[in-house]
Amino acid sequence: MSINLKPRLEGKVCIVTGGNSGMGASTVELFLKEGARVVIAARGEEAGQALAKRLGENAIFHRTDVSVETDVKALVEATMAECGRVDVLFNNAGIAQGYVPVEEFTMEDFDTLFKANLASCFLGIKYAVPIMKQQGGGSIINNGSVAGVITEGSGPLYSGTKAAVIHMTKVWATELAEHRIRVNCISPGAIITPIFWGGHQTQSDEENSLRTQRLTEFYDDDLGLGAGTPEDIAYAALYLASDESRHTTGLNMRVDAGLTCHNRPWRDIISRSEKRNKQIEGG
Amino acid sequence: MSINLKPRLEGKVCIVTGAGMHDDLGGTGMATAVSLAREGAKVLVADISEKNATNTVQVIRNENFGQAELFIGDATSEEESKAMIENAENQFGRLDVLVNNLGYGGPTRRRNKLKQSYSLDESRGITEIDKQNWAAAFDMNLNSAMLASRHAIPIMAKTGGGSIINVSSCDAISSSLNYDASYAVSKGALHMLTRSTAAWHGRQGIRANCIAPGHLHSSFSNHFDPDLRERRKQIVPLGTEGTPWDVAMAAVFLASDESRWISGIIMPVDGGLFAAQPILAHDFITKQKTK
Repeated sequence: MSINLKPRLEGKVCIVTGGNSGMGASTVELFLKEGARVVIAARGEEAGQALAKRLGENAIFHRTDVSVETDVKALVEATMAECGRVDVLFNNAGIAQGYVPVEEFTMEDFDTLFKANLASCFLGIKYAVPIMKQQGGGSIINNGSVAGVITEGSGPLYSGTKAAVIHMTKVWATELAEHRIRVNCISPGAIITPIFWGGHQTQSDEENSLRTQRLTEFYDDDLGLGAGTPEDIAYAALYLASDESRHTTGLNMRVDAGLTCHNRPWRDIISRSEKRNKQIEGG
Repeated sequence: MSINLKPRLEGKVCIVTGAGMHDDLGGTGMATAVSLAREGAKVLVADISEKNATNTVQVIRNENFGQAELFIGDATSEEESKAMIENAENQFGRLDVLVNNLGYGGPTRRRNKLKQSYSLDESRGITEIDKQNWAAAFDMNLNSAMLASRHAIPIMAKTGGGSIINVSSCDAISSSLNYDASYAVSKGALHMLTRSTAAWHGRQGIRANCIAPGHLHSSFSNHFDPDLRERRKQIVPLGTEGTPWDVAMAAVFLASDESRWISGIIMPVDGGLFAAQPILAHDFITKQKTK
């Protein structure tokens, strides 16, 4: 064998927000496997410390609420103190909201969602960029959503926050390119993670498993590629984090099994899938 | 380190069209073929020129990793395209990845126009369409990909699916004044071929994606004068030209199972050109022209 296989993120320091669970945790594991040092930023102190301990010395946990400016500032400072640089920032943390009719939205909903999904990206970038500028570059990855591309199938305001993330990715990509800081976005389809099932509002196990089944069936039957897993997002993040994508910035990479490339009304598919479930249940 | 890193495409059988190497700079096809092999793939290097294809096969064999065979044929001919797909299956027993890299800017532009100077008068808009050039551009940029895909899909489906990667251009996203209009239009159609392939054949396990390269310095643009190259660099936010290897790394990602849930996407590898709203780019070029 003459080809040297090297870890794809060797020597890089990466911050992954929302790194405790779902896509974030998967990404943390993959980044570590590819030779990076990873700072896990999340709210759950206990779970985060346990995860970092399990993953070994290259994983560090830092308790962070990404919608709080002082928390994000402290996160970047702690990363610098511990690792001395920041090469990759994956703004992965976010919250979801189910369907709420527009007249029932409250300003509180609005603030909460935009803070958690858009301000979190903004704050991460605001504090990581001065360091990346000094280092001569870096890679920032925002977690968008197909909800930011299509308008059905998710909470309306959630959809709006994600569309904003996708657009701001392009704006920041343009602004920061001269410093060799790349800004890209990943837009996952419905990945089987807790957030898809109502995010911070916990639902019953029974409800979760029914929705998992329905979603798997939908993706499998209608798009043919099975259900999306957190690993699928982690691999996209790895490509965008590594130097393999050094000439790519401002990209919104959809990881959605082809959901958004053609005209299939989402609602139709869900109701068809529901019908099928009923048929199955009814024998 | 205890981590066991494996080649990302071990055992996969790939075809790359337009994969020959006709100068030292190399093109996206050659770089893709070599990069796939570096990840352990078996690659059928397809090109119309035996000499160029042999060059690429030689590069791969010299590296002593992966595997390379060559296929000589014209991808715009249905018979030869079919033969190419069958050749891969016969030699390697299956087919996992098809990279429709072949592309062409049209004979007039390529040989005469941009080589000398860059001027709006010489560009060929809709009113100057030469029907023969138009048809040739569609044959090369669109039909070749459709022909290869239609013969590859059933063979890929036999083993549970595969990945089709088309290679378009940033001109397919926003029209350009650089090239003959047939170039942008046929490349734009390639985007819809990509989405249609994804939509129609997803259930057979087929993924289809498209890479849209921006301004690369490769054998495709080797003849551009330094002034044009400089301007191309300036309008790209990252401020550099890309290389064929940047496209190749994107192709490796889309070929591998790492992207198993990605289908129907257009993926610019463009230094941020598309994000920056190419309207500004056009403005910039126009200003240069009227100087």
